[in-house]
Parts: sequence; structure tokens; C-alpha cells
Amino acid sequence: MKKTFLLIAVALVASTVVVMTAGAVTAKSILLEGTFPLSGPASGYAPIPSGMGAYFSYVNAKGGVNGRKINWHFEDDGYNPANTVQITHKFVEQDHAFALVGGLGTEPQLAVRQYLNDNKVPQLFVSTGATTFDRDYAQYPWTLGWQPDYEGEGAIYGKYIAKNLASAKIGILYQNDDYGNDYLRGFKAGLTAQHNPQIVDAEPYDLSATTPPAVQVAKLKGSGADTFVIFATPTPTIQAYVISTKLGWHPAHVFTNSVSATDPFLTIAAQSGSDNVEGTISVNYGLDPSNPIYNKSPGMKLYRSIMAKYDPKGNVNDPLNLYGVSKAWNTVQVLSKAGRNLTRAGLMKAARNMLYSDKTKNADPFGLPGIRIFTKGNYQYPISQVTLVKYTNHTFQPFGGIINGRGA
Amino acid sequence: MSRYWKPLGFAVLVLAVVLAPFLSSNYRTYQLGFVAIYLIALSGLDILTGFTGQISLGHGAFMGIGAYTTTILVVDHHWRDLWTIPVAGLVAGLIGIAFGLPATRFAGPYLALATFAIPLSFIGILKRFPRFTGGNVGKNLPQLHSELGWHTNPSIWFYVVTWVVALVMFPLAFLVVRGRFGRALRGVRDSEIASTAYGVSTASVKTAAFGISAFFCGVAGALYAIGITYVNPDTFPIDLSILLIVGIVVGGAGSLWGMVFGALFVEFIRISWGPSILTLFAKAHHVNTHAPGSGLVVYGVVLLFVLYVAPAGFAGLVRRLVTGRSALAAWAKPGAPTPGDPATGAEGP
Repeated sequence: MKKTFLLIAVALVASTVVVMTAGAVTAKSILLEGTFPLSGPASGYAPIPSGMGAYFSYVNAKGGVNGRKINWHFEDDGYNPANTVQITHKFVEQDHAFALVGGLGTEPQLAVRQYLNDNKVPQLFVSTGATTFDRDYAQYPWTLGWQPDYEGEGAIYGKYIAKNLASAKIGILYQNDDYGNDYLRGFKAGLTAQHNPQIVDAEPYDLSATTPPAVQVAKLKGSGADTFVIFATPTPTIQAYVISTKLGWHPAHVFTNSVSATDPFLTIAAQSGSDNVEGTISVNYGLDPSNPIYNKSPGMKLYRSIMAKYDPKGNVNDPLNLYGVSKAWNTVQVLSKAGRNLTRAGLMKAARNMLYSDKTKNADPFGLPGIRIFTKGNYQYPISQVTLVKYTNHTFQPFGGIINGRGA
Repeated sequence: MSRYWKPLGFAVLVLAVVLAPFLSSNYRTYQLGFVAIYLIALSGLDILTGFTGQISLGHGAFMGIGAYTTTILVVDHHWRDLWTIPVAGLVAGLIGIAFGLPATRFAGPYLALATFAIPLSFIGILKRFPRFTGGNVGKNLPQLHSELGWHTNPSIWFYVVTWVVALVMFPLAFLVVRGRFGRALRGVRDSEIASTAYGVSTASVKTAAFGISAFFCGVAGALYAIGITYVNPDTFPIDLSILLIVGIVVGGAGSLWGMVFGALFVEFIRISWGPSILTLFAKAHHVNTHAPGSGLVVYGVVLLFVLYVAPAGFAGLVRRLVTGRSALAAWAKPGAPTPGDPATGAEGP
């Protein structure tokens, strides 16, 4: 029995020992924290914070940022906003995090946006493309997105079809929430009113649905569409590929949003019997570890060496790791620019005035060549440039140069 | 002697509640507010599950109904947040009665399965009427601010609000399970046939228990929304209903005092103890604590450990210590019947 009480006591004491380095920022360290889904339905995104950690370790080994080491700490919120809120309170009130970086998920990050802005704690580079995190900067000055926003990406596919496939009959499968609707809205805007009649059918599905979107795909096939546009999260996307093949539907063109269009996901779709994978068009902005054409680029070499040294158990070919490394690179850039006398306001000022590009010779080494990261004044969409990619022989090949969904 | 236990227990609880914020950081105080919320929800569910013997895997949804009632009244109808709390309880309670009417036709595992439909359909309904509920994106509530001329930190105000409500609801649960009605509840749990023979309408008793437990969960949900300041379908996953059952079992089904432990457990195991144990373990063994799902493994192991040590929950453990039964014997024979164990049907809280 004594043993039992001892163990319980240890657990109780442990709960109070978690207190990390107090103070937002010390002479020697900066505490950055974030919430990510390490369990639950979205745990597929778990490599992102590990990739970020690998890059921070690499920077720390080189002496840190302006003499300060980055202390990176992240916790599992299981994609449940109720958990995100409680953990975020802990980060702010107990750990005294200097900034929250890379927090993942539209809804979890919406849940803490007001709280973080009230407390003037940076909610930097959230890992979601929901347009509101970029667009509503005036209302939420402490919040900033990072990756291309869903609306802007949708517009790119619309523009591409209006220009190159003016006779295509378009069938769209989209997730029935903010995510899918952001894409759809952008797509229609990019397509322009003149070409909107090309959309012969648009079918929504629910993320919470327990069955694959078979009825929707069948309707799209029945509508006579020859161009299949998928604005979905990874699992339904894979299902849509497989179902379309099983229904004997072979659309001439398939467009898939970048969140779901990565080599690992399309490989699963192909292995599950879909022959509609080849030729899929999407967009990309980061180097693609599964495409050998980048193996000689300095960014890819650096990425592989960082992963080998600081996250050897991570899957180096998973683009999500590279996404994390790239985001951490950008975080280090703005921390460095915010200067030796580091303040939260100084960090936000640096993040609101970014220009990392080939022209200024400071481009993100992990981004695709030619892609810039840019924010200034009322333009707060850090990465809005992308390149179109086409899935050919089991990898995405870029084509057609750099484009910007936001037209800037 | 025993008639002094209850007042003494309340005195200790009130004293602890008053002292805790002086001994805790802001964040701990905020967390203890959630303990109050879970105490309310677990007390309600214990009336249904522990005292009436009806297992529900759906009471997280009643918390959700309470939370959405509060959110919609505050955000869309500009109510003061505090006034929405009783309304949220009533809405959840009425829906609980409505569900209890047909559900009482089921028994045992069939009822558990039927109640499982509540959170499933609740999430579906939330998404079906996005104009009303905010759909998947949900709704943000304004940050909590102190009232009644009292200026204090939001975490402390949240603590005050939650515990004031909890110190009303918790004794209320004791009132529910005493006297004639309480005996009827236990009668239904222990033998429906015998209860019917004594003139108890088992269907009405079960329906009433359903409504009361849903009312408690609705009140808890209202406070939950106020604390989280955000609701969306992901905030009320099916796990929440399971978590409430875990709280009941860990606390000790059929004991209201046990719910204090249950509430502490469900709040701290996930957010604080789990990650701490994981961190300690990682330092000792150099393992990757951020592997997907590793937090859940710790949670599972701790849960198994607790159930092994205290098969009748914390309440059962305490009872064993008090009644002088060697706890070592419990180690040796987990699952052995204990005084007050719901399995043996011994007397209540």
C-alpha cells in the first residue's frame, strides 16, 4: 500500500514540477510553444512540430538567435478546441511562453485567437490556410498565418481552367465547412463569372460522415463532368480517387488541393486501386523531399542533414517534416530581425514586414526556387506564391512558373 | 458518529475551495474551475449511473446542449452569461427527459448503446444547422470578465463562478439521492421486479433520473462554454461522454463524495499529470514523448493502475481504509466485494 501512495504522490508532485523557465524571454533563452494533434483523427500532422524542433535544435547548436537558445515545447490537443484552450492558458499563464508558433488547425486556433490577442501574445504562423488568419489582421494584430490561404489556392485552379481548359465540364467534391467553402469561393472567383457555367455539379460531403463520399462521386460522374476538382482533407480525397475508379469514371483532368496532394497520400490512393492519380494537378511551395530533382539543391541537402542529426526517427521523405523545418526557419528569421532587445511587439512588427526572396538573396532555402515570403502594410498573406505541379511517374513535377493566387 | 461525517465533509470541501486560489497560480485556479464543472457533471451522471444503475455513454452531448444554449443566448441574443446557466440546465434537462422516455425501454448494454446515439446525432445536428449553431467553425464567446463590482483576474472570476454553482449543485445531488426518491432510484438499480412489486413506477423513476442527470450536465456545459469561450462540434466529441464515465468509475459509482476525486482525475490526468509523467519517463529512458498517441498510452496505463488499486474507485478505497479492511488484501484480490460497492448493492454515498 505504501508503494501505491508513493506512486500517487510522485504523480501529484510531478504535476507541479512542469513549470518551465519562467519569463517570456531571458538573456539566454526564448520559450516558444504550440499545440498540435498528436492523437485523434488529425494526428497525421504530427511530424510538423518535430520538424520544427529539428530546425530549432540545429540553430541552437550554432549559437541560437542573437545569443539566445530557442526552447521549443509543444503539446497534444487531439484537435479538440477545449483542450487547445486549456493548454494555451497553461502556455501563457504558467509557462510564460514568449510566443505561440505554428499552432495547428482552423477551429482549435480560432478558439484561442481572442484570448491570445487580449493577452498580447503572438499567435504566429498558425498551421492552417483558413483565410481569416491572414485577412483579419487589423482585428487580430497578434495573429498571423503562413501557408497559402485556401481561397487564394482555389483561385489558382479556377484561373488555370479558365485559361487552359475553357471547354472543360467541372465537377467539384468539397468538404462542407469553412475549409471546403474557402476553396470553393476562391475557385469560383478565379474561374470568373464568365466561366462559372462550366461547373456542372458541386457536391458537398461532411467530415463527420462515417461513410466514404460514394454517392457524391457517383452524382459527379452522372453529371457528365470530365474535370474532377477535389477540395477535401486527405482521407476523403484518397477515397474519392478509389471510388471514381471503381465507378469506371475516368475524368480527363483531376485537381486536388495541396493539403491532400502529397506523394504519400496519392501513393496510398494508387495502391488502393485508383488509376486516376496520374496527371493530378495541384500546387506546391516547398521543396518536395520525394522528388529526386531537388536532391542536389542546397536547401534539400541542408534539410536532410538536419533531419539526420536532430530527428533521425522522423520520415525524411514526408513533406510535413519539411513544412515544419521551413516554418521554423521563418520563425528564426523574424526572431533575429526583431533584434537583441526582443519584445513581443517587436516580433510581430518583424512578421508584418517580411520579404524573403531570391531577389533580396534571403529566400527560404526550403521553399521552391522563386517563391517569396512577403508581408507589408495591408497585405498579410506570408506565402501566397506557388507553382503548379502535376503528378507524373509517382512524383509531383512543377510546371508553368510561379503564380500568385492573390494576384499580388 | 456517522451523522457528523457529511457536514464535516462539506465543511472541509468549502474550506478547500476558499483556500485553493490563495495557494495556486492563476493557471491552476483556472484549471480548478474545470474541476468544479466536472464535479457538477459527474454528480449528475452518478445519480443516473451510480444510483439508478443506468449506464449512459451520451452525457457529453448534454454538456454540449448546455454549452450551445449559453453560447447562442450570449452571442446571438446578448444575454448576460451568468443568467444563461439555469436556462442551459433546463434545456438539457427537458431534452434528457424526452430522451429518457423511450430509453427506459432498454436495459443494460442495450441502453448504453442507445445513449451512444446522443453524441453521434448531436454532432450531426450541429453541422446540419450552421446558421443556428455556427456549423463546424463554431462560435466564439466573449472573454469572461468579473461582475458585481468586483475587479479580479478572469481566471479567478471563472473559479468563483464555477465553484459557487458547484457548491449549490453538489448538495442538491445529495438531496436527490436521499429519502423516498433516493430509495426508489436504488431499488430500480438493484431489482426492477422488486421495485415494481413495492409500487415503484420504474419507467418514471428512470425518466426522472435521466432528466435530472441531463440538467446537471447542462449546467456544467454552460460553465464549460464560458470557460473555453468557444464551442464547435469538435469541442464535444464522443470521448467527452466516455471521459465522464471514466470519472464515475474512478471516483466510485454510487458515491457522490467519490465524484470529487473523479473530477480531479479527469481534469488533471489529461492536461497535467499525463504530460508530466511522460516527461519524467522520457528523461529516464530517452524515448520520443511526442510520438503520436503516447499521451493516450500514459492515460490508459494510469487508468488501469487506478482501477487495479481501487476497483471500486477512490470512494471504495477510502471506505476500505476507514472500515479497516486491509488495502493489501485488495491488492491481492482486486475486484473483491467491498462495503458500499454498487455490485453488492450496499448502501449509498
